[in-house]
Amino acid sequence: MTADAVTLAVALPLLAGFLSPALGRSSRTAAQWLGWAALAASAAVLWSVWVRLDGGTAAVAVGGFRPPLGIAFYLDGMALLFALAVPVVTLLFWPRAGTPQQFALTLVLAAAATGLALSGDIFNLYVFYELTAVASFGLVAAHEARRAQAAALRYLLLSAAGSVLLLAGIAVVYLRTGTLNLAHLATLAPERLQDPVGLAAFALMLLGLGVKAELFPVNGWVPEVYSSVSGRLAGLLAGLVSKLAVLVVVRALVLVFPRPEAAELMLVLGTLGIVVGELAAWRARDLRRQFAFSSIGQLGIVFVAFSVPGPAGIVAGLAVALHHLLTKPALFLLAERWGGAIEGLRGAGRGQWLASTLFILFALSLVGVPPLPGFWAKLLTVMSLMEQGTGPARAGAVVVMAATVVEAAYLFRTLGVLLARESGAESPQPHRGPDLATASLAGLILVGSVFALRPLGDGLKALAAQAVDVDGYVRTVLGGPGMAVSHPASQAPGGAGGGARVAHVPPEIAS
Amino acid sequence: MTLLDGLWAASALTALVAAAFGRHPAAGSWLTVLYGLQFLVVAMMGGLSEGADPVPASVSFVVLGYGLAWQFSALSWFFAVITAGAALAAAWFVSGAWGRAYAARGGDLRLLQLALALNPLAMYVLLASTDFLSLFVGWELVSWSSFLLMLSGGGVGVRWALRYLVYAIGGAMAVMAAMAQAHALTGSFGFGALAAAVPELSAASLWMLVILLAAGFGVKMGLLPFHLWQAGAYAETPGPGAAFLGAISSRMGLYAMLLTLFGGLGLGTLQALHIPFTPLEAHELLAWIAAFTMVLPTFTALRQNDARWLLAWHGIGQGGYMLLGVAMGDALASAGGMMHVFNHATYQAALFMAVTAVVYRTGTADLNRLGGLVTRMPLTFLVLLIGIIGLAGLPPMNGFVSKWLIYRALIDEGQPLLFVAAVIGTLGTIVSVYKLLHNIFLGRLRVEHESVREVPWSMLTPMLALAAVVFVTGLAPGPVLDWVAAVQRELGFAVLVPTLGGVDRPDGGLDMLWVVGIMLAGFGVGALIFLAGGRARTVHQLDNYAGGHFLSAEVRYHYSDNFYAGLMHRIGSWYRGSFQWLQDALVSATDFLAQGAAGVYRAVQPVTWLLGVTVLALWWAW
Repeated sequence: MTADAVTLAVALPLLAGFLSPALGRSSRTAAQWLGWAALAASAAVLWSVWVRLDGGTAAVAVGGFRPPLGIAFYLDGMALLFALAVPVVTLLFWPRAGTPQQFALTLVLAAAATGLALSGDIFNLYVFYELTAVASFGLVAAHEARRAQAAALRYLLLSAAGSVLLLAGIAVVYLRTGTLNLAHLATLAPERLQDPVGLAAFALMLLGLGVKAELFPVNGWVPEVYSSVSGRLAGLLAGLVSKLAVLVVVRALVLVFPRPEAAELMLVLGTLGIVVGELAAWRARDLRRQFAFSSIGQLGIVFVAFSVPGPAGIVAGLAVALHHLLTKPALFLLAERWGGAIEGLRGAGRGQWLASTLFILFALSLVGVPPLPGFWAKLLTVMSLMEQGTGPARAGAVVVMAATVVEAAYLFRTLGVLLARESGAESPQPHRGPDLATASLAGLILVGSVFALRPLGDGLKALAAQAVDVDGYVRTVLGGPGMAVSHPASQAPGGAGGGARVAHVPPEIAS
Repeated sequence: MTLLDGLWAASALTALVAAAFGRHPAAGSWLTVLYGLQFLVVAMMGGLSEGADPVPASVSFVVLGYGLAWQFSALSWFFAVITAGAALAAAWFVSGAWGRAYAARGGDLRLLQLALALNPLAMYVLLASTDFLSLFVGWELVSWSSFLLMLSGGGVGVRWALRYLVYAIGGAMAVMAAMAQAHALTGSFGFGALAAAVPELSAASLWMLVILLAAGFGVKMGLLPFHLWQAGAYAETPGPGAAFLGAISSRMGLYAMLLTLFGGLGLGTLQALHIPFTPLEAHELLAWIAAFTMVLPTFTALRQNDARWLLAWHGIGQGGYMLLGVAMGDALASAGGMMHVFNHATYQAALFMAVTAVVYRTGTADLNRLGGLVTRMPLTFLVLLIGIIGLAGLPPMNGFVSKWLIYRALIDEGQPLLFVAAVIGTLGTIVSVYKLLHNIFLGRLRVEHESVREVPWSMLTPMLALAAVVFVTGLAPGPVLDWVAAVQRELGFAVLVPTLGGVDRPDGGLDMLWVVGIMLAGFGVGALIFLAGGRARTVHQLDNYAGGHFLSAEVRYHYSDNFYAGLMHRIGSWYRGSFQWLQDALVSATDFLAQGAAGVYRAVQPVTWLLGVTVLALWWAW
């Protein structure tokens, strides 16, 4: 299978998404199976491409239009990792009790999210981002509860405003450079975007994308939405969609805006997000809201980590992001039956030992207890910030550590309530099997990764080295003839088939 | 397989057995045997204190490019032997009647056994640290396992355990910051690299490291102002757990300080680090913090009416003596400070067990609701008596030796103010442990305790054994001082060469063999006079008290409530609760900020908010 086939990973779920409502009229089961098949196929395609690339990078010109004019996908370790996470996580968090319409929206969400991970130009990113917004908005609004409706409206308003900001930022970039291809932008940015206007464009894009990425202060929708939708959807949004928005920001930061001011803006907003998120979580009296606020705080740490320039920051950011992707959705699943006021859950954890054990495990890892992965992620973050040594970076490190204290305080206070000897007024229903199974899987991966820390660390370092290699990106997308697949060690032989078409930069644009 | 692997394996096996069979009636005995095995393995490593090569662990990892390796040195061994002994004693205490009664009252015996087994395991990992990374890993393991032990009793203990957790995580984060800072400065986690880099480091970087490390590890030690968690957390832990925690847990902070501050940065660095605008250096700052930790918590202990809380507060105060000795840093003081770790562990474990024995029989540790138990529980009384003599630092018990060394060094070093502080601390200790002894054992027996009997041998054996150690190491402190000398040598302190009875110095040493001999001779003379004094009349215990004044059995009279009323009349107004106030103020401030943070998400117009932020961001970009 050529790298070209990667378009299928986006196209198949999208196609299945359009077929699903029609098919659902005759058979809901068939629609469900169609969705699963599409997602599984998408995952298989991505996996086989990843295996084929074998640590290299590749560019794909969709439909044969050559970059910088056509639609480009860029495949490297980071992009494929997140792209692969999309169908896998979507399968795990599939809305099992949903209608065919919800299946359709979920599939569209998955397709758009995959596109977001792979896309190599900003216009496409915008399109996929909008598609993600529409799909997730529909999914939130599909919940019957009035609270969910109100939350959906709030979400819609903020999303729309965020899209406008993103579009404005893109427009500025286009006005300045005349291109939207990321590789092309990377070559033009040093001379055309190194001024306040370029910085403003980054700020606009950051805030626009930040709406989905739960960036403070544009995340006003988060607590309402997460506390009123199902645990599965909350897990999908908090775990997956937020990370993909972050990924886009990181790409823009590395390729187009490699300026200390831009990183500093991210650092400051991330730090504020940690403070506000964790403090609000400390006060939250509702378990899902507590997790929602905690998620804001964790995304703040992700931003802070990614703001450190160079591979160290990427490694730390990836570690925190992946850790959060693993733990927070699983916690939202556990909150499915433990929703509502925390005080009402007195003693609810007794007798549900699997769920309680998983909660303890995730809490320990979030707080960062060695040897669990959360500890290494936190350590990498703090160390990269201290290594950077500037005032704001150190302040960020201090905030990350202070937030840990607050986080431990509220997570274990909640656990104390859950495991209290005396029981509350009503005991909640036991957890559903599939929810517990998914959460257990996350727990197993978490514990298992303790034994694979060495390869994981090496893998992350390789991903990060590739991600910060701007020249490599430009070479892969715009580089020499027949060099569709560029490999760090040795060039892949023979032009890599007919799929990936790569063009020279037309002289009139390159100048 | 090295002996260290063996120790870890034995300890892990103990934890597994506790987890699997903790509720089995015979589990207590098996576990005691396993703890004995751990102690044996530690004892087999005894060569470490005679200059043998460090014992490495066979396991090592490379994580994210950092190596993780472990080994036992003389310093590790000194703390490990105390840990193993305390764990053995505590497990023995649980193994029989106490454990059965605990389970019968609805306690989760398996959880307690498991927590009790995990604590020494975590400590053996911590004590084998070779660099900042392994230290931090072990540190967290110790913190969380003691958290589990504090939780295991449920009830009030959970609240205190949660408070401990906040302090512990705060401390751990300070350590993490220090570790990241050290790595940023030297490019490695090694203590050696840090020591080598010291000459190039600025005073500001050094101060940052010193403050972060001292604060981070000081939390565990209960150093002022981070002490508020400790008394409640230890006192509300189930009895044997409290004995173990009180004996050794918070000393892990001292171990880590010895390793990083005194071994890593080096005592010389601390002595050369001047505090601007003052005549003090860094090590004197530590000594003064230690002095305040000795005095204030000790006088807080004086006001406690719960025997467990009284002991726990003393545990904080005694930690101050240890740090004071180490921070002064000369041969005598550092030997005294480190020996006090051993001494304190022995008598504190015995004391907590004695109090737990009283609770086992009477159901209360309230010092206002006990009294006169000396005739009912004479052996427990004996253990408590020996323990408090050790705690107060009086001859002939081991506490005297370590404190004598510290006093002596303070005079030698010309630190009269610190000396006075140490004496005031000891005075407070003597006064308050008398209250403990009196209110439980002396005075008049309460009617409801008439049928109280001595506790069974499963509880008495470890108590008596510990009491014997307190006495014997007081009589002949030489061997323990030998272990300490090995630690001093390893860390680069001046070395104190001991004799069997103590210290031999031209300007006046200490020979406990003589001291104890003369004391016993004095007691012998007193006993002769007493026996020669003629007939004694035995009356019922309910009929004899009130200082010779006649009271009938109907009139209840036991002077325990509002004990030391006169003393409190003088010093009562000095208790301000300032630290409590500080802690409450911090919590309130956090709560206030959190309200503001939550308020952000109650904003009615999210879009207006977003646009406002955008304008701000654009303004910033320009």
